[in-house]
Amino acid sequence: MSFTLTCPICGPRNAYEFGYGGEDKGPRPDEKDLSPGDWCDYVHMNRCIAGESKEWWIHRSGCGIWFTTSRDTTCNLEVRGKAEEKDANPPLEKE
Amino acid sequence: MTNKIIRRSPVTFGPKPSTVENRGHWVVALEYEGEGDGPHLIDLSHCPRWDFQDGNLDKFKPVGISIPKQPGICVLSNGTLINRMNGTQAAVWHLSGEATDIPPETGYTDVTDATVFLAIMGRNAFAITEKLSALDLNDPARTPPFLIQGPFSHVPCQIVVMAGDRELPVILLACSRGYAHDMVDAILHAGHEFGLQPAGENVFKKWLEPLK
Repeated sequence: MSFTLTCPICGPRNAYEFGYGGEDKGPRPDEKDLSPGDWCDYVHMNRCIAGESKEWWIHRSGCGIWFTTSRDTTCNLEVRGKAEEKDANPPLEKE
Repeated sequence: MTNKIIRRSPVTFGPKPSTVENRGHWVVALEYEGEGDGPHLIDLSHCPRWDFQDGNLDKFKPVGISIPKQPGICVLSNGTLINRMNGTQAAVWHLSGEATDIPPETGYTDVTDATVFLAIMGRNAFAITEKLSALDLNDPARTPPFLIQGPFSHVPCQIVVMAGDRELPVILLACSRGYAHDMVDAILHAGHEFGLQPAGENVFKKWLEPLK
C-alpha cells in the first residue's frame, strides 16, 4: 500500500520517501499554569480520526524538510490545499 | 615514525585502472583499458565536497559563488558546483578534483570522506537510471544543471543532472559512503545491457573542461 505526498520543495513523491511525524497539534502550550495532565495530553494523546487529519511529515529520503499536509485517513489520499487553510487539528475534546 | 595519510575511495571496479595519479593523499584512477565510447561510470569520490548549512544562506558566497535562491537549482562556475538543497542547506562540489581549503565559517562540513560520488555519462545514461529509480531525471521542464534528492536504487541520494538527453547525458550522484559497493554493483548491473563501462577521471575532465 502506498500513496503520494507533496513535498513543498521536491513536489509529489511516493509516501515511502517520507517519515510520519504525528498529528499537527498546534504550537507548544504555554508552560505557565500548565498542569502535568495537560502536558501529557499534548505530548501523547492523538485524535486518530477517520477523516481529514493535518499531520507532520519529513521528506527523509529527499530534501529533509519537515512540513504539514492534510490526509484523508479513510482513503489515504492527500487533501491538497486544505493544510494551508487550517492552523492545526482542533484540540482534543475532554470528557 | 611518520604517519602517512592515505585516503581511499569506497569504490572498486573489477578492472584495475591503467593510469593513476597520486593527488592529495588519494590514488585517482585516470583511465581504464577498453573504456570504449560509453556509457561510462566514473568514480569521482576524491573530488572535495562540502555541506553548508546556515539560517541565511544568501549572505554567503562559497569560493566566491552565490548560492542559488531556489532549492533544486544548481550553479556551475570555475569547476565548482553549488546545489541548493533546501531553505538552509547547500552542497558545494569541486568537480575539478583539486584540493581546496575549507572556509573558516562554522557552517561548512567536509563530507568528502563520508560520501561516495559517481558520474554516469554517455548515451543511454537515462535508460540506465530509469531501471534504478522512479525519479524523473529527464524532466523536460527543468534545465540542467538541476538537483533532485530522492531514492536511487533505494538509497537516499543527491542527484544532479548536468546535461540532458539532447546532449551527452551527464548525471552526478552522491550518497553515503557505506552504500558504495552495492550502488556501483547495481549501476553496473543495470547498465550491462547498454555497454556501461568503468572509466577514469579523464573522461569526465574532458567533458568538464569547456564548461570551466
